[in-house]
Amino acid sequence: MIAENNILNAVQEAFKVEGKVIRERRVEVFAKKDEVSSILLFAKVQHGYIHLAHVTCIDWIEDGDFELVYTIYNPELKITLFVKTRIDREAPVMENIDGIWDQANTYEREMREMYGIEFPGLIGDHEFILEDWDEMPPMRRDFDTNEYAGETFFQQPGREDAKDVRGEVCERSGEVIPDFAKKYSRD
Amino acid sequence: MIEANDKETQGVVDYIKNFIRKHSIFMLAYGTGCGAIELPATLTSRYDAERLGIRGAATPRQADVLLITGYLSTKTLKRVIRVYEQMQDPKYVIGFGSCTINGGMYFDSYNTINSLAQYIPVDIYINGCMPRPEAILAGFEELQKKIQKGEADNGTKYQENIEWYRANQKKIIKNWRMPDYNW
Repeated sequence: MIAENNILNAVQEAFKVEGKVIRERRVEVFAKKDEVSSILLFAKVQHGYIHLAHVTCIDWIEDGDFELVYTIYNPELKITLFVKTRIDREAPVMENIDGIWDQANTYEREMREMYGIEFPGLIGDHEFILEDWDEMPPMRRDFDTNEYAGETFFQQPGREDAKDVRGEVCERSGEVIPDFAKKYSRD
Repeated sequence: MIEANDKETQGVVDYIKNFIRKHSIFMLAYGTGCGAIELPATLTSRYDAERLGIRGAATPRQADVLLITGYLSTKTLKRVIRVYEQMQDPKYVIGFGSCTINGGMYFDSYNTINSLAQYIPVDIYINGCMPRPEAILAGFEELQKKIQKGEADNGTKYQENIEWYRANQKKIIKNWRMPDYNW
């Protein structure tokens, strides 16, 4: 755990952020929005965290926040560092980091489309995975997919009561449900 | 299977035509969802679909059957419609797995359609998630029976009801930039 504590101490000395060692080879720090790119660059240049594994977003609708998690990795020490930050959910704007890692561009375009987070200066088409989408960004938790699907697509009747029809089908085709399959029956 | 000398329902030419069509079904090698993984098993040596006259075709214009293998996202639907409209008559559609029937496990997804028959006419549904090669061959057998009886004419049905289908398609594909065919 020495190497884990070393990186945590180094980041905390330079930036005064909270953080902890989760377990062996997993370290996380909670940063302010403005400090994130500095921490990432610091870890990359000075401590060998050269690999950006993932950037992801979590919708904390109860707190009115989006949480962004930058997962970076040091292949020599085999330690993963999570840099977490929270941004406002109403006007989500985050700094663009694709100058540090080019592949961040893909993750940021996806988050722009799926959560509606704006990254100033991000190069790329606004349409990334979805086509002709003019609703709320679909991965937000206040987007009701069931309601949207019910309005947009033609629902097949017969889903409402979720009836067990295995007996009926067997009778119709002259078959018998074998004993080993009966225990999976709903009634 | 229809009797060989059933002169009441079909003339001789129709009978021979349907008999030949039934035994050379070229299916388009185009998988939309996870179900496409069952097709290699169906076509290769164990189940050997070619002994029944079923084999792959490279392009839509050479194909008879379009298999919708599994879930269909709205983005793929656009491509499927283009592919279907390029196919020559007679053309058949097989809906594959529960996703094409009622949405399956993606019934509340924002991005997959729920009922395939609202967008293109479907001849045969094969249920299951996923259907095994035996089920696929059974589905093709049903299609062959339908062809032999002369009931599988969904290509003309699509042309006749093109407005209804177009209205349903345009409900999902909002930015319509598709070619118009004048068949």
